Parts: sequence; C-alpha cells; structure tokens
Amino acid sequence: MNSSGFPLQGVRGFHMLSRVADSLYWMSRYMERADGILRMLKINYASSQDDIQEFSWKPALKIFNFLSDEKADDLAQNSRAVLQYLVTDKENSNSVLNIVTQARENGRSVQDHITKEMWQCLNDFYHAVRSDKLIAFLQREDPITVLDSLIKHGVLYFGTTDVTMSRGEGNAFINIGKYLERAVQTADILDIKFSNLQYEPDTPADTTYWKYMLMSISGYELYLKTYRSGFNATNVMEQVLLNETFPRSVLYSVNHLHHYFERLKNDKNMVAYNQVDFMIGKIKSRVKFSTSQSILQEGLHHFLTDTKSSLYQIATAFSHNYFSHG
Amino acid sequence: MQASELLQSYLVDDHTWDEMYYDASVRKQYQKALAFLQQLSVDELNKKEELAKRLFMSQGITFTVYSSGEGIEKIFPFDIIPRIITSAEWSFIEKGIKQRLTALNLFLKDIYSNQFIIKDGVMPAQMIYSCPHYLREMHNFPVPYDIYVHISGIDLIRDSDGSFYILEDNLRTPSGVSYMLENREITKRIFPDLLPQNNVRSVTEYPNILHRNLVSLSPRQVANPTIVLLTPGIYNSAYFEHTTLARLMGVELVEGKDLVVDNHKVYMKTTMGLQQVDVIYRRVDDEFLDPLVFDPNSLLGVAGIMSAYRKGNVAIVNAVGNGVADDKAIYTYVPAMIRYYLNEEPILKNVPTYHLDKAEEREHVFKNIENMVIKKTNESGGYGMLMGSAASEKEIIEYKEGVIKNPREFIAQPIISLSSCPCYMNGSLQPRRVDLRPYALCGPGGIEIVPGGLTRVALKEGSLVVNSSQGGGSKDTWVLGTP
Repeated sequence: MNSSGFPLQGVRGFHMLSRVADSLYWMSRYMERADGILRMLKINYASSQDDIQEFSWKPALKIFNFLSDEKADDLAQNSRAVLQYLVTDKENSNSVLNIVTQARENGRSVQDHITKEMWQCLNDFYHAVRSDKLIAFLQREDPITVLDSLIKHGVLYFGTTDVTMSRGEGNAFINIGKYLERAVQTADILDIKFSNLQYEPDTPADTTYWKYMLMSISGYELYLKTYRSGFNATNVMEQVLLNETFPRSVLYSVNHLHHYFERLKNDKNMVAYNQVDFMIGKIKSRVKFSTSQSILQEGLHHFLTDTKSSLYQIATAFSHNYFSHG
Repeated sequence: MQASELLQSYLVDDHTWDEMYYDASVRKQYQKALAFLQQLSVDELNKKEELAKRLFMSQGITFTVYSSGEGIEKIFPFDIIPRIITSAEWSFIEKGIKQRLTALNLFLKDIYSNQFIIKDGVMPAQMIYSCPHYLREMHNFPVPYDIYVHISGIDLIRDSDGSFYILEDNLRTPSGVSYMLENREITKRIFPDLLPQNNVRSVTEYPNILHRNLVSLSPRQVANPTIVLLTPGIYNSAYFEHTTLARLMGVELVEGKDLVVDNHKVYMKTTMGLQQVDVIYRRVDDEFLDPLVFDPNSLLGVAGIMSAYRKGNVAIVNAVGNGVADDKAIYTYVPAMIRYYLNEEPILKNVPTYHLDKAEEREHVFKNIENMVIKKTNESGGYGMLMGSAASEKEIIEYKEGVIKNPREFIAQPIISLSSCPCYMNGSLQPRRVDLRPYALCGPGGIEIVPGGLTRVALKEGSLVVNSSQGGGSKDTWVLGTP
C-alpha cells in the first residue's frame, strides 16, 4: 500500500517492467528539459532585442551545454547562430531537436504505456522541430513565433499527459522524471544568473536583468504580486528557491518529487524505497528549512552546488533501485 | 455510366481479372464507392491523399530508414481507394482458409509425433528431414490444445479467370495485421460515412479475439494470467505493429532482455521484482528464440525459454517449428494433406508448383523460364526470387547455376498474372496488381477470420511484386455484408 491508500499496480494487477519505467522517466525528463530550454531562449531573445547593457547569450549557452569559453564567446555574438545551435543543430546533443528526438525515442519504446494521444503529441513535436520550414523560419523571420509554436507543442504534451494518463505507476515515473529535471534546471539557472553578478546580491543591477530572468521561468507576475518594493536580488533568490507555490521553484519541485516517489511505496521493495526516500526527505528538509538569510550566510553558490549534487545522487540511486532489476 | 476524368486512363489488361471492371462496366460492389469518388474533384482527392499521409505521420505509423547516420521516417505507401470483396467471395475464401488451416494444424501435430503421413506414403520422409525449419526440439511435445498455428496470414491471389489461388501459407510470425486495422481507421477519417453506406463489415474485433485466445492458453489457472508480446525491439521494421497490438490487447510489450527464466519458469523484470509470465505471443523467429537451443549468438531471445515451454510452464504463440508447414516445397503437398487428414477436396487451389530437385520438372521449368517465377523455399518477403519474364539473360544463367547446386532449395511456379484494382495515381484511377492476406485466428474454440485483411498492391505499373520491401503499398480491404 502506498501513502494514498491504494495498492499501486498496473490495471491488470501487475507491476511495470523496469525497462518501461526507465523509458517513461527519461521521456519525461527530456520533455521537461526541452520546455525549459525553449522558454529560456524565448525570453533571452526578447531581452537581446531590448536595450540592456548586461545582456549576454553566454549564460544561456552555459546552462545547457558544455561549450568551451572560447566557442561560447564566439557564438554569443550572434543571436541567430545561438538559436540555430540550441534549437536545430544536429551536432549539439543538447539541442531541442536532439532532446525531443530522445524523448520521442523513449516514448516510442513504451507506446503501449502512454496514451495514444500522448504519443501523437510527441510525434507531432518531433516532426515539427525537424521540418525544413522551421529551420528556415528560425533563420529569417521572427524567432519568437517559432519558439512559441514549439513551446505549444510541449504544452500540448503536458496537458494531454495530465488529462489522459492513468494515475498508476507509469504516471508516478513520469512525474518523478519531470520534477527531478525541473529542480536541477532551476538550480542551474539561478547559479549561472547569479554568477554573472559575482554573488553580490546587493549589487544594483538593471531591473530588466531580473525581470527577464523571472520571465524565462514564468515567475515575473508572481514576483510583482509578492514583493511590492521593486527588484532585489535576495527576493528573486527567495522566490526561485523557496516559494512553495511557485511551480518552478526548487522547493516546489522537490516537494512534488517526494509526493510522486511516495506513490511507489510497496511491500515488495521496501529496502530500495527506504534508501531513496531517505535521500529525498533529506534534501526536502534542507531546502524547506532554509531562509534567504541562511543561504546567503552559507553562500548561494555553495548551497546550489550542494543541492544539485544531492539531486544527482538521488537520480543515481533511483535508477539503480528501480531500473536495473534482475 | 458517364466517362469521367477520373477513369480516363483506366486501361484494363485483357488477360487480367480486374476487381472493378467487367466487360467495360463497373461491377456492382464498386458502383456506390465509384459514384462517390466521381463527384469529388481532383483537388479534393489530392487533399484526402494528403490527409491520409499526415495521419500516418502524426500517429507514428512509420518505419525508419537509416542513412548517413540519421534516421529518416517513412510511411508505408497507402492507396486511398478501397479494395472491395463481395460477401459471396468472402464466404468462399473463409471456408477455404478454415479447411486449409485445419489440415495444416493436423499436419504439424502429425509430423512432430507419429508421422503417419510419411508412413502412409503421402509425403516422402526426405521432404521433412531436408527442411531447415523442421525442429527436432519439438518432437513428441504436445502443445496446448494441439494448436500450432494460432495466427496465420495466408496469401491469396486471383488469376485471369478470377479464381482464387493460395500463393503461400504464412504460419510463423505473419505481419501486417496492424495495417489492416490502421488502414480502416484512415478510411473512416478520409471518407466520412462511406463505410456505413456501403455496408462494410467491421474488422475491429481482431485484437479482442486474439486476446481471448491468448488468455485461454495460460498454463496456470489464474484469473489474470500474464500475457506478453515479445518483440525484437524498436529497430525492427514491424515495431509499430507490435506496439499497436500490445496496446489494443492491453498486454505487456517485452523485449528478450526483459525476461528471465528460473527453474523452468519465465519471469519478467518489473520495478517491484520478478513476475511470472504465462503466455508469450512472440514476434521473434524460432532461430533467435533461445540461445541455449538455437542460434547461440541471439540477443533477441531468452535463455532457457524452450525448456520452460517443453515443461508446459509457458505457452508460446505461434508454436515453435511451424516453418516446416509453410516451406515452399512442402506447400505442394497441402492439397494432398487436405485429402489425407480431412477426406475433403481442397476448396482453394494451389498454384501449380514444380520441384526443381526432380530432373524432368526442372527441365520443363528451364525450357519455359520466361513464363516462370523461381523462388527459394525458405525465403520470404520477395527476396531471392527470379521473375523469368523480367530477368536478363545473364541473371537467368547465374540463377540456373544456383538452382543446379541446391535444387531442394528452389521451386518454380508459372507466373500468375494477379488481379488488378483501381489505385489513385496523379489525379486519375489506374489499375494496379493486388493480392490478399486475410488473418485467421485459431483458438480452443475453433478458427475465426475477421472479415477483411491486408490488400498489398504493386504500385509500379505492370509490376507483379507486392512485397513492401520491393516497392509495394497497401489498401483498405472491404468485405461487404450480405445485401
């Protein structure tokens, strides 16, 4: 029995193949990653058209890629080249094209475990991001239109998943992948955005810098409603890390990670469950019982590095315990 | 009937049975559908063709061609014009296939046990022992309910006088049934209301019948036996079909690496440990099924699965060793089998077939080679065959040399012309050659055939080869209800 009181099994009364769980988890991680990159690109492109001194493509290039400084500097000069590299470049293993291909390949091998509608979303997304028309459009026309159309494909997938996927084990693996990926992504974005400011939260930065950063994770409006006193780095950090109602915050992601993980609780697998549960519980408490002040005292970079490494350890232990039976 | 633009270039070959035309008039079963098509403009028809392509694409009904390091998605060509079969034709085909399958099943049981058919001199023993698909591993092993061929896809063609011939019996892992199902779904989308207006019988029961049969084979008497569909994996060209069937039946789709055998029982590896498997619908060929018994290099199979099978702890569908019954040389004995086991005359005819290991028959074939097609006995998919009418002199000479070396591996048949059927090609209807593969399901309750099947079509003008690996496509196949 799991925490919600229902025995969590497949509809036919048996458990999911480890291979299938593995593929669902990665399909979901890749889709979350694609969504993150696209939103970040859209806002970064918008800010590149705005008159702000601080703007550079470099952080964006560094979050999702392992480019050398030199190559990143080169590329960062040209918005279109950056977009091409991050969206449609076949050589870049972290381009949206390759990430969506990975998501779809994972989905393809578990088509009988996701709904037909979800599979169609993955397929349409895949064909859209590969179309020659899109590549040409991205080079010549308004990139926001292109990015919006791709973001919509992702949103359609998320909505379809929510509306059609049965709330069984498969759904739990999908959500575990999603929130784990999101927590890491948010921590990454924050780390890189603040590193630009050398971790001096009191440095008076251009407010547009924070505005665009929040917009890239859809947190701008919430910020305006929460903090009436204008932009302040400490407040931004607080919202992005600790706001329990902000769906992209690290705390929100970790809470949901835990929630969906608890659904896997089962008498047959208690040793594995307890081990991973302990790890998730630990990071959850650490984030929950931090304040913006305690984080600044500890050092933001240290806090984020520590958080990320805990998340990576969870991912490793999780896949070891759930995906490699036999 | 007014001559419309659509039919202007529809020129039927005199020596060919056309499914739509007879004596320059349209057969009754096609009249309604044709009238409907004729009131559409070329533009509208093109749009429908486009829609069909888009639907296949977006549903991922594709196969991947790998070239220069990246995969390109292709769809199997689909022709939007349905192939129509009358209820009288269908009941004849149905009776014929049931008869043939009954005999083939009895043959398999016999040949893997008492071998009366050899002892009674109906078939020479050499025929069996020279067949590479005859598996001694299956000898004296009683399969559940004596059913070997749970699923068959027997290919039928029509000669110039319209009579049906059996081209080959596919009794191992016949594929294509998902296209029967998907083609119908596409027709529903591109031609709204046309199916009910024409009183077309439904094919949707197929997965339910198959699932019911699989459940009934479970060796364990449990309420929810675990049924799996074993696929070679995502790179197999029929992978789409495997996922479709698994989804439609609600069974687990597994690969060899998901299964493990312990103490002669098969288990699958789940997130909560091992779970026993009762029935395996495998789409992996015999030789790759168990590396301990067959090909030791196979990564697609499961080590020890044959021992679990022989212990009766798991059912395998289709049975192992069926290849001996759909071997192209054994094929010639099927009419004799029907007479021997059932004491009946065969309803469906065999194509006359020459054994090339018999000197006088070989001579006859070589003399008339321009009217012959020569095939390898253990190949399928249109590979390794020679069309006497289309081959060059050099090809013929080389092929003959191969035949003389290993005559048992070849058979020859006179070229049967294949019936033609209208296809939509660049704005008009044109005749193209077709065959028909109905899918028969055999369970403890008997043989059932959903009314329909896969019509494969040779899209090249004049071509007689319908295999998808050789440029063939497919059509939706309508069986009409009783008028």
